[in-house]
Amino acid sequence: MENVIEIHGLTKKFGDFTAVDNISFNVRKGEIFGFLGANGAGKTTAMRILCGLSIPTSGGGTVAGYDIVREPEKIKRHIGYMSQKFSLYSDLKVWENIRLFGGIYGLSDKQIASRTEEMLSGLGMEEVRNSFVSSLPLGWKQKLSFSIAMIHDPRIVFLDEPTGGVDPETRRRFWELIYEATSKGVTVFVTTHYMDEAEYCDRVSIMVDGRIEALDSPGELKRIYGVSDMDAVFRMLAGKARREE
Amino acid sequence: MWKYLIEKEFKQFFRDPMLPRIVIVFPIVMMLVFPFAANMEVRNINLVVVDNDRTDLSAELVEKCTESGYFRLKEVCSDPRKAQEMMDKNTVDAILTIGQGFSRSIVTGDGFPVGIKVNTVNGTKGSIGSQYLSNCIMLFMQSHSDGGSSLQDASSGAVIDAAPKYYYNPYMDYKVFMVPALIVIAVTMVTGFFPALNIVGEKEAGTIEQMNVSPISKTSFIVCKMIPYWVITFFMLGMCLLIAWLVFGYVCKGSLWGVVLFTVLHIMVTAGLGLLISNYSENAQQAMFIMMFFVLIFMLMSGVFTPVSSMPEWAQAITYANPLRYYADAMRSIFLKGSSVADVWYDAAGLLAIGSAALTWAILSYRKTS
Repeated sequence: MENVIEIHGLTKKFGDFTAVDNISFNVRKGEIFGFLGANGAGKTTAMRILCGLSIPTSGGGTVAGYDIVREPEKIKRHIGYMSQKFSLYSDLKVWENIRLFGGIYGLSDKQIASRTEEMLSGLGMEEVRNSFVSSLPLGWKQKLSFSIAMIHDPRIVFLDEPTGGVDPETRRRFWELIYEATSKGVTVFVTTHYMDEAEYCDRVSIMVDGRIEALDSPGELKRIYGVSDMDAVFRMLAGKARREE
Repeated sequence: MWKYLIEKEFKQFFRDPMLPRIVIVFPIVMMLVFPFAANMEVRNINLVVVDNDRTDLSAELVEKCTESGYFRLKEVCSDPRKAQEMMDKNTVDAILTIGQGFSRSIVTGDGFPVGIKVNTVNGTKGSIGSQYLSNCIMLFMQSHSDGGSSLQDASSGAVIDAAPKYYYNPYMDYKVFMVPALIVIAVTMVTGFFPALNIVGEKEAGTIEQMNVSPISKTSFIVCKMIPYWVITFFMLGMCLLIAWLVFGYVCKGSLWGVVLFTVLHIMVTAGLGLLISNYSENAQQAMFIMMFFVLIFMLMSGVFTPVSSMPEWAQAITYANPLRYYADAMRSIFLKGSSVADVWYDAAGLLAIGSAALTWAILSYRKTS
């Protein structure tokens, strides 16, 4: 199977502190890859490197076929990114945000118009088209962010704790969007703190103190550690952490 | 891509609760209030006269002084201690003492027993006040020596008549001097500090991260961010010139293209500075503090309020690193004297040098990646 992300020996140091410590892994095309770890385990740092936002101290790899050290700008054309912090422009209206990001990724006015219709009807958000993004409920904001991160049909979409702070029902609906994306062949790279979400992933890795301690499908991990759910797997591994937040 | 980014910046600008108002109100207040308030002319100097002579001639001298319009006669007394007391209590700024035998010595030409004492707690008011006062006495002297009295003989030979002639601002109107300088301040604010706050704002909101993972280049992002402010600056510049013309009747003596050229050069500098400030600050508070520091130094060391030539040499040396010095000097020369760009080429050179240094540093320190 084709790999869309190949990482080997990736390390990131901030002074004396090693945020990411020599991690290696591959992500296959079209899978949902769960990137788990306790707070401060180094998930966000690693993800920022994959997105070209940060340069690794050593090690390297490719994302969407481009080198993460030498070609971060090329990577950016082929990935979508949804950060932990809501980062659409709250003083722009829903349609204006869609238009802005469409434009940034090189879509024409015509393409933007049709994508906007498609997106709004898909999300059931037609009636808030002219509302300021700041006025939307959190769940809607997250769905909109996700759709906008997908506006240019990226090969991989990076989601950094996309469902933080919303109720289980809203989370479930968010995951429907994720499944819809993978059905079109998009690879999803997602970090989360919710272990029920980890169960939805094809494969998960668990980071502890900057290192990847385990990487396999949820079913296999549960079998290896002899427990019945991902929550128990996570607690067994993350419990070994020395690092405080 | 640029189209979408510029569109975004304009929308955000006009939706900001403060910015559009500031841009309208700021120049108006600046042009209508500052020229009157930041006025270095000295008027209403409170004067007390100690007249020990009490003759027609001494009364004439007092009248000469008061009719100049700069002095307000508080009292004529004969006790010097009382006058001193008034000065100590700050009720008067100057004491004019007319000695006994004043009128007689004028007639005989034996010296000139007049004393001036000035309160110089406010140095400017004091020194200008004493100048005015001695001017009045000079005038009085002249009017009496012209009469062919013995004074002229006594003052031993040639009386040199040095009458200054004032160019470019014949009435030494402080307002006309301040108008170009105020434009300088407004342009610096809008093109330097507003974009800096804007960029820092995006850092705080986290939206800049979303831009950084997009294929948009850092230069495009920054330039698109600044373009609206540049447009607004020229709108403001026009407004300032219009107010100067409508309210004060001042027109730019030189070419408006010169004003535009120097404004563009100055924008290059402020853009660099604004970007530098935003690069080195993580939040709006930090940015504000850095700006405060720059604003104070830039204003005080620019010659906008006090002439550079009267600063000590080490301070003059510092002003060479201050972009406002060049811009203010060029604006005043073009606006008041009608200088051409060639006449003030050194100002253009100064702005270009500082601008390219600031921009290079800013671009080098700005990173999409960390």
